Amino acid sequence: MSRLAGIPVRIEGPALAGGPAPSARPAPSGGLGDGVAAILTEIVTLLERLARGQNPAAIDLRSLPMSREDRTELQRVLGEGEVTATVAAQGVSIIRETRISGLWWVEHRDSRGDLIAELLEVARIPEILVTAFDEIAASARTLREHMRNR
Amino acid sequence: MTETEQLTVGEMLLRHGISRRGFIKFCTATASAMALPPWMGSAMAEQLRNAARPSVVYLSFQECTGCFESMTRSFAPTIENLIFNTISLDYSDTLMAASGEAAEAARAKAMQDNFGKYVLVVDGSVPTGAAGAYCTAGGRSAVDTLREAAKGATAIVCVGTCSAFGGIPFADPNPTDAWPVSAIVGDKPIINVSGCPPIPEVITGTLLQFVSTGQVPDLDEHRRPKAFFGNTIHDRCYRRPFYDQGKFAKTFDDEGARNGWCLYELGCKGPTTYNACATLKWNGGTSFPIESGHGCIGCSEPGFWDKGSFYSALSSAAWGKAGEVAPRQILEIAAGTAAVGGVLGAASAGVSRLRQHGSEQQRTDNTP
Repeated sequence: MSRLAGIPVRIEGPALAGGPAPSARPAPSGGLGDGVAAILTEIVTLLERLARGQNPAAIDLRSLPMSREDRTELQRVLGEGEVTATVAAQGVSIIRETRISGLWWVEHRDSRGDLIAELLEVARIPEILVTAFDEIAASARTLREHMRNR
Repeated sequence: MTETEQLTVGEMLLRHGISRRGFIKFCTATASAMALPPWMGSAMAEQLRNAARPSVVYLSFQECTGCFESMTRSFAPTIENLIFNTISLDYSDTLMAASGEAAEAARAKAMQDNFGKYVLVVDGSVPTGAAGAYCTAGGRSAVDTLREAAKGATAIVCVGTCSAFGGIPFADPNPTDAWPVSAIVGDKPIINVSGCPPIPEVITGTLLQFVSTGQVPDLDEHRRPKAFFGNTIHDRCYRRPFYDQGKFAKTFDDEGARNGWCLYELGCKGPTTYNACATLKWNGGTSFPIESGHGCIGCSEPGFWDKGSFYSALSSAAWGKAGEVAPRQILEIAAGTAAVGGVLGAASAGVSRLRQHGSEQQRTDNTP
């Protein structure tokens, strides 16, 4: 695909000035837009891979040209799961499990509260929640030292 | 070697109260800003945390320190500390506490201890006139210092349009016979992070990616990382729909300007300028020049100062050099209208993304 003209886009007429970039085709009422359908297809593939024991994966939501309607639609389809976790590290991160097992909606904010990354993670537990072995070993050393010095 | 120098990046960060999770988050945001695959964020974080801090020697030549100002203001207030904790900045005449002979000795020691491994960052052009006398430090000319420092560098990162392309000192009549780094050093990988100044996140992102992977990122024909320089400003401009509808501001205070219409006729160089201003923006994502009502001046392109007035509309000859222009025109003709609107914008963004990830063809097709 080397030319823009080679991409099958349908001209829907001028967009609202300054509004969010629409996806290739907006969602007809009650159905799924092309943008949302594409994301869901990718999610299914990644979930199937994870279920087969392959590596966790993620989709960078900020890299996709999604309209506000697409976003709402995606949130509606994915729904809310049982777990919500908050991480306070260089600003707040909110990790929400969706209704789809193994799919997490992750929002990273900086210390000013601005959104700096937003991902859909396909994993048993998102990487940011897992404690690293070197940190566990370091904490054990610190605690042992603390007990010795008491 | 002091104890601080031996610490891994992770240990150094912990000392400064930045946890592994905080670092993963920073790397994830950086990967997102660079349009890298999302898993690269945690991979970069893990790789860096367990590594010794890479030595960085930062040389400032014929420059205004604007690039350095930009770099030390990246992201939220804690993040510039983060990048400086990630690297071991062994020499920077602007930031280091040492001065005079002690400073020069620190540079010599860092270069000797890390020979073949350190990253050399250069900002400013290199004057060669009058035997290099226009820019000297410690009795040595910039050109000699650069040649010596380049010998042991694993790669050179040119920060700013001056070191990348010569910039303002290189502009006509170039009284100091100034040159970009690439004209002086021919045998090392060079990564150009252009802009006057470059976007802070582009500087730190490029450095972070290089030190975490040890790999020179995919570069365009001007040796700029495609992750940041893969799109024109025009490709991603929020005023693009007005361009497509043929709505232009004719003066800076007319009805069109007040309505936020396209600044093309006021000389905006967005269509021929590759940079990330329209997406990453400036001052922590606040805005960028076009959003503040002024056209792009094309500061990340070679020779930007000598390409005519900042306020003259781009000539059709210049248009031919922009990667996305020809396809857009083809589509306009195919659609029989100039008012194709945001639908095209989304498709265009998709094409640009493809190009960022290796479709060199897109760019070279339209580059003379």
